Amino acid sequence: MVQFNLPENSKILKGEYHKDKTNSKNIKKVNVYRWNPSDGKNPRIDTFEVDMDNCGPKVLDILFKIKNEIDPSLTFRRSCAHGVCGSCAMNIDGVNTLSCIKSHTDIKGELNIYPLPHLKVIKDLIGDLSGLYKQYESIQPWLKTKQTGEEKQELLQTPQDRAKLDGHYECILCACCSTSCPSYWWNGDKYLGPAVLLQAYRWINDSRDDERKERLKKVADELKLYRCHTIMNCTNSCPKGLNPAKAIGSIKKMLATG
Amino acid sequence: MYEKNPLSPHLQIYGWQISSLLSITHRIVGVINAVAITLICFFVISLFFGEENFQFLKSILQSFVGKFLIVALCWSFSFHALNEIRHLIWDFGYGYDLKTSRITGVITIIGSFVLAISIYLIGKNYI
Repeated sequence: MVQFNLPENSKILKGEYHKDKTNSKNIKKVNVYRWNPSDGKNPRIDTFEVDMDNCGPKVLDILFKIKNEIDPSLTFRRSCAHGVCGSCAMNIDGVNTLSCIKSHTDIKGELNIYPLPHLKVIKDLIGDLSGLYKQYESIQPWLKTKQTGEEKQELLQTPQDRAKLDGHYECILCACCSTSCPSYWWNGDKYLGPAVLLQAYRWINDSRDDERKERLKKVADELKLYRCHTIMNCTNSCPKGLNPAKAIGSIKKMLATG
Repeated sequence: MYEKNPLSPHLQIYGWQISSLLSITHRIVGVINAVAITLICFFVISLFFGEENFQFLKSILQSFVGKFLIVALCWSFSFHALNEIRHLIWDFGYGYDLKTSRITGVITIIGSFVLAISIYLIGKNYI
């Protein structure tokens, strides 16, 4: 059921204000969503004054600066720090993106940082993505072929067939798209969401795969696929510049044309 | 443990884009149109039951509120029709690029106003 308001325990309170101690003239106010699982309180927005004269260009640099110099309890995921792993996906200035490739110089005024939308928060900026991973598993994202391995023969693919996977295999599963999708917010338990459907399309489209028909049949479902109403928030938010909306549209077209 | 974890904010904080704004408008306008068509049907049926009904409805529609309603409905029908064409093109597999969808979105918005005004003017002057 669609619930537009946040539940009682998720209402956001005003948090602490951390004043700048470096007497810097170039200050940016950074509002960060905080929730501590051990104090039993509601989530809050903490405001940090960050000295921009001594800070790197990316939003992740700001988060590190806060963690290193102001509040070490700030919690967020990150790993590679250059847009390859997808760990640091979060909602920055209203749009989901990777904090490690998002430049804060693009953002005028105060900087608002939230976890990915409509997820159960584990701590601060970390959302629980286990539901998404389960859905990813459900589309069986591995090659399924009639070969048994006895043939001792590699599966060949023409350059043209290989090119069909471009724009799909690059997905790093950061979940920016899925958690930007209103349909996924309201029906996240049943609707697969853009990230998983993009991957479904990638496997349907792989010339080496022998279960194209079964895969298509499995995904052809009122709730799993057709909850996509081409809102395009997914494509707008993808930090890798991919187009999940187009992939979902292509699956729908395949199902309609046979 | 899982029950007490809060839900991260969604609608409250997510930035609006042309695409999402058009999508929700399309839905709302669709509901309005369905109600409007039903009412127009009742209007036509009521004509079978005498002239007074016609006079009554005429007086409503010629008032300021009535005129506003007519123009608003011209717009809501135009918008829905144009955006539906956009959806149709998507269903054929075209126009998913970010840039293209943004351009078609803007065309839909501008076009809906142009179409609404022209429908109103044509209706007023020639029918």
